[in-house]
Amino acid sequence: MMAETKRKADLKVIILGDYNVGKTSFVCRYIDGTFQTKEPTIGAAFFLKQWGPYNIAVWDTAGDERYTGLSNFYCRNAGAAILAFDMTSVSSFESLWARFIPLLDSALENCIKVVVGMKLDLLDSDRTREITIEEATKFSREINSNIDISHLPKDPYFETSSLKGSNVTEVFEYIFNHCVPLTDAEKRVAGNTGIVDLSKPVNDGAKDKKKCC
Amino acid sequence: MEITFVFVVHYMIEERQSSSGKVVFHNEKLGHKYLALKKPVAQLKAASALNRILVLCDNTLTLLNMFDLEPILSGAKVKGVTCFCLNETPSRGSPFSVEICVALKKKQLQYYTATEDRLIHVKDISLSEPAVSLGVDGSYICVATTSQYCMVNYESGHMQDLFPFDSETSKPLIRRISKEEFLLSGPSALGMFVTSAGISQRPPLQWSENLMGVSYIHPYIIAVNDEFITIHSILDQQQKQAIPFQGGSFIGNFDGKMFVASQKEIYSLVPVAWEKQVQSLLADKRVSEALDLARNANRVGLSKDKFSKVFRRFEQQAAFIEFSQQHFEEARELFKEGQVDVREVLSLYPRLLPSNCNFTRSVPLLHEIADVNQLSRGDETVMKEYRNFLRLYLEEIRGTKDAVGYKQEIDVGLLKLYAEVNSPELVPLIAVDTGCDLKDCVDWLEKYERHHALALLYKVHKENDKALAVWMRLINGDIKDENFLGLDFVAEFLANLSDHELVWKYVDSILVKDAQLGVRVFTERPAKEPPSERLRPEAVIDYLHRFPEAVITYLEHLVFQKKLEKEKYHTHLAVLYLDAVLQLMKENNVKKEHLDIARSKLRHILQMSNLYRVQLILGKVKQTDMYAECAILYGKLEEHDKALRILVHKLKDYGAAETYCLVNSQGKDPSVRKRLFHILLSVYLDPSYEQRDSLVQPAVTLLNSNLSEFDTVKVIQSIPENWSVSLLSQFLMRTARKSMNSCRNIRIERMMSRGENLQVTQNSIEMQRNYVTMNDDRMCAMCNRAFGDTSFVRYPNGVVTHVHCAKNKHVCPVTGKLFSTKQS
Repeated sequence: MMAETKRKADLKVIILGDYNVGKTSFVCRYIDGTFQTKEPTIGAAFFLKQWGPYNIAVWDTAGDERYTGLSNFYCRNAGAAILAFDMTSVSSFESLWARFIPLLDSALENCIKVVVGMKLDLLDSDRTREITIEEATKFSREINSNIDISHLPKDPYFETSSLKGSNVTEVFEYIFNHCVPLTDAEKRVAGNTGIVDLSKPVNDGAKDKKKCC
Repeated sequence: MEITFVFVVHYMIEERQSSSGKVVFHNEKLGHKYLALKKPVAQLKAASALNRILVLCDNTLTLLNMFDLEPILSGAKVKGVTCFCLNETPSRGSPFSVEICVALKKKQLQYYTATEDRLIHVKDISLSEPAVSLGVDGSYICVATTSQYCMVNYESGHMQDLFPFDSETSKPLIRRISKEEFLLSGPSALGMFVTSAGISQRPPLQWSENLMGVSYIHPYIIAVNDEFITIHSILDQQQKQAIPFQGGSFIGNFDGKMFVASQKEIYSLVPVAWEKQVQSLLADKRVSEALDLARNANRVGLSKDKFSKVFRRFEQQAAFIEFSQQHFEEARELFKEGQVDVREVLSLYPRLLPSNCNFTRSVPLLHEIADVNQLSRGDETVMKEYRNFLRLYLEEIRGTKDAVGYKQEIDVGLLKLYAEVNSPELVPLIAVDTGCDLKDCVDWLEKYERHHALALLYKVHKENDKALAVWMRLINGDIKDENFLGLDFVAEFLANLSDHELVWKYVDSILVKDAQLGVRVFTERPAKEPPSERLRPEAVIDYLHRFPEAVITYLEHLVFQKKLEKEKYHTHLAVLYLDAVLQLMKENNVKKEHLDIARSKLRHILQMSNLYRVQLILGKVKQTDMYAECAILYGKLEEHDKALRILVHKLKDYGAAETYCLVNSQGKDPSVRKRLFHILLSVYLDPSYEQRDSLVQPAVTLLNSNLSEFDTVKVIQSIPENWSVSLLSQFLMRTARKSMNSCRNIRIERMMSRGENLQVTQNSIEMQRNYVTMNDDRMCAMCNRAFGDTSFVRYPNGVVTHVHCAKNKHVCPVTGKLFSTKQS
C-alpha cells in the first residue's frame, strides 16, 4: 500500500457527515462492491481508486465529534466533498450545515460538494423520511455557490443505499466526471476493469481454431 | 529541596554476534563530565560532523566536545530555549556545519548554523504561541505550540496550521518519517501523518495513551509509554507487536540502532531480519502482509538480483498458501509473478504429470501440501474447483514465456483435465500444435472413452493406421463417442491421406456404407498429390465395379473435373449414361423429369466430348427413338444432312435445328456455318418430302433469322419458283441493306487507307529531304572513329554512327532517347 500512497493523487475526495450515517459502508460498497457494517472509524481511513489515468484518493473521515479538529486537516486540498446524512435523522442533516460546511474552508476553492442521503432502503420499511427531496436539493445548490452548477448534469444531491448498492457508483462517477473528465478513449480503458471472471468460460478465442484435417 | 547533579557520561557500546548468532552488546564507560547546573538535561544530541554534543539544560543550549566532554566556551550558547531540533536533511548542507532549529520561551523560533565553536544565527520566526516541540526536514519545521500543530517553511516564512492539539493533556511528539513527511501525536492518541504541504497521505494509526517517545525504523513506528513498547507498520498502519516494558521514558534511532531507556536502564531493540519476519508472517498465512513487508524491505543487505530471487521465493511460498486456502485469484497471480515451475503445481494433482516426467519438488520445499486430495478432504465441489483452477491456469500460461520448456507437461495436464469432463477444448488441444505424447495419454483417453480424441492423437503422431482403426470401430458402432464427426469426416480424412495402402485398406467399409460418400475418397484428392500407381484411374474403376453409382461419379470426375482426354473414359461414361437412360425407359412409372435429367446428361457428354466412340453409341441409339441424341451423334460424324433431317422431320424442332447449325460450326471457318445453314434450308425445301408445305414457314423464319448466314445468290437459286416475292421480301430487303452497308464500309476503309498512305509518303519525303554531310572530319558518335565505309546509320535526332555501332535502331546510343517503334 505504501507504494500506492506515495504516488501523488490527482483528486482528493473527502467524505464528511455525522456519526453512524454510514460513510464507511458507503465507501466500501463502492470500492469492494459489498455491504459491510463497519466499526466506527478511528481518525480517518483512506482508499485509492484508479479512474482512467487518474489516481483518486478517497478519505473517509470519522464522524465522531472528538475528531472534528482533524477533519478540518483532512479536508485540506480536497477537490470534492461528499456530505453524507441519514435520511431518517434530521439532526444528521442539520450537522452538515452546522459542523461540516465550515470544515471545507480548507478545501480547494472550486471544491464540489455533493449532498448524499444515506439509508434509502430504510425508507422502504417502516422508517419515515425526515428530509424532503426539495429541502436537500435546495441545500445542495446553496452550498455550491462557488462553482457554476448550471454545467452539471443534475443537482449535486443523491439518495443512496449502501445495503442495496443503489446510486453509490453514480455519486462517485458524478464527481469524477466533473473534476477529472475522461476522454472517450480513456473511458473505454476504464470500462475494462481488469477483472477476470473465473466462472466465465474463456475459450471464445479457441473456437476460431481450425478443426483437424 | 531536591538537589540535582548533572552529569554527561560517555559510553562506548559495541555490538557483537555470539557464536550462536545472538547479538550481544558490550559497553565500556569512557568518561564523564559534571555540569555545574541545577536542572536536569532536557535534550542531548550529537553532531558527529563537528565532534560536538549539543546539550539543552536549564533552558540553555551549549556545545560540548564529543570526546573529552569539555564545554566549548567560545560563546556558542543560546539562552531561553525550551527545545531544539537538529536538521538531519538540510536543503543545502555544508559538511562543516549543522543546522539547528531552536524554540524559545518567548513565542519565537530561531534557526542556527552550528560550526565547531560557534552558533551562527540565521533566521527568526515569530509564532502566535510558544513552541513545545519541533521537527525539521529540509526547509520545513513542524512545530507543536501549546494548542496546535503547524508547518513552517523557514525560508519563505510561510506558515500553515495543521490541527488543534492540547499539550496540557498529552505530550506532543514529532518524528520525521520520510522526505517532507512527519508523524505527529494527535488527539485521541492518534498518530497523524502530515506532509510539508500540510496534508496527509496515509491514514492515521491508533496508539495507546501517554506516549513518552516515538521513533521510526523502516517500515516500523516504535512508540513507548510507561508499560509497553508498541510497534506499528506504516504499510498498513496496524499494530504488529507490543512488548511489555515498564517505565519507558525515552526511545531513539541512532544511525539505524534503536535504543530504548527506562528510568534506570538502556536497552537496544534489535529488529528481526526482514526475511525472518516475512517467513513467520507466511507461516501464519498472513500472505499480503508478508509480501508487502518484503516489497518494502528496501532490499536490506541484498543486491538487486539476490533480492528479486529471495522475493520470488516468498511469492512462490505465498502462492501455495493462497492455493491451499482456495484463494484462486490470488494464487494464480502469485504463481505467475513468482514464476513458479508449472510442474510444482501439476505435481499436486495425482497422475496429471506425464508418466515419463521425473520431476521432484524443489528443496527446500515451497509448501507442505501433499496433493489436492489432502486439501479438498474428499469434498467433491472443492476438488472440482481445484481442477477448474488448474485448467484455467494452464490455459493462461500455455504458449507464454512461463511455459517454455514445459509444453509437454502443460498439454498432457490439459488433455487429462479435458478428457475427464469431456471438454469441447479437447479436440482443438490435440489438433493444433500439441505437446501431448502418446504414452500415457492413450490410456487416459481410453479410460474416459474419448475415442475420437484418441484417434486424432494417433493421427497427430502419424499413426494413421491406428487412428483409422479407432474410427472404423466408431463407424461400426463397436464403441461410441458423441464428438465423432461421422462417416464424412473419415471419408475426408482418407481423401487427404497420402498413404494409399491405408486408403485401400479402409475405403471399402465406407463404400459399403455409402457409395457416394466413399467415392469422394477418390474424387476429392488433394490438388497437389503426385499421381501414384496405386490410385491409377483404371485400378479405381475396376475396384469400383461393385458400386455402379460410384463408377459414374468417378468417371464424371475424370472427364469433367480432371478433363482427362482418354477415349476409354469418355466412351465408358457415355455408355453408362446411355444404359441408365435405357434402363429408365424400360421401367414403367418413371417420372418424366428423371428421364429428362438422365437424357440431358447423356446429351451433354455426347455434345461436349469428341473422344468417345460415336459408332458404338450410335449403333445402340439408332435402335431407339432418341432422335435428339441421334442428331448429335450424326453431327459428330459430320453427317449434317442426316442430323438435320432428324431434327426437322422427326422432332420438328426447328429452333434446335438452327442451334445445331450454330453449335456445329462453332470455332470453325465462317464458310462452314454458311454451308450448314444451306443444308438446313435445303432440308426445308426438299421437294421429295411429302409434308414440305408445312416447312415453308420455318424456311422463311430461318431466312429472316438474325443468326443465320447465307449466300444470297445461292438462296435465290434454290427458292422454288412458286414462292411470292412478298414471302421473301423481308429477307431480300435485309440482304440488300447488308450488302449496301458492307459496300460502304469497304469504301470508307479504302479512303482511309489512301489517306494513311499519303501521310506516310509525306513523312518519308520529309525525312529523306535532310542531307547528311560525310567528310573526313565526321566521326562515329559511338566509337569516335572515322568512317571507312560508305554505309552509316543516322538516327532521327541526327546522331550518326557506324552500322556496327548501332545496336538498336529504336534507341539513340548517345542520348538514350527512345524512338517510336511503330511502323509508319
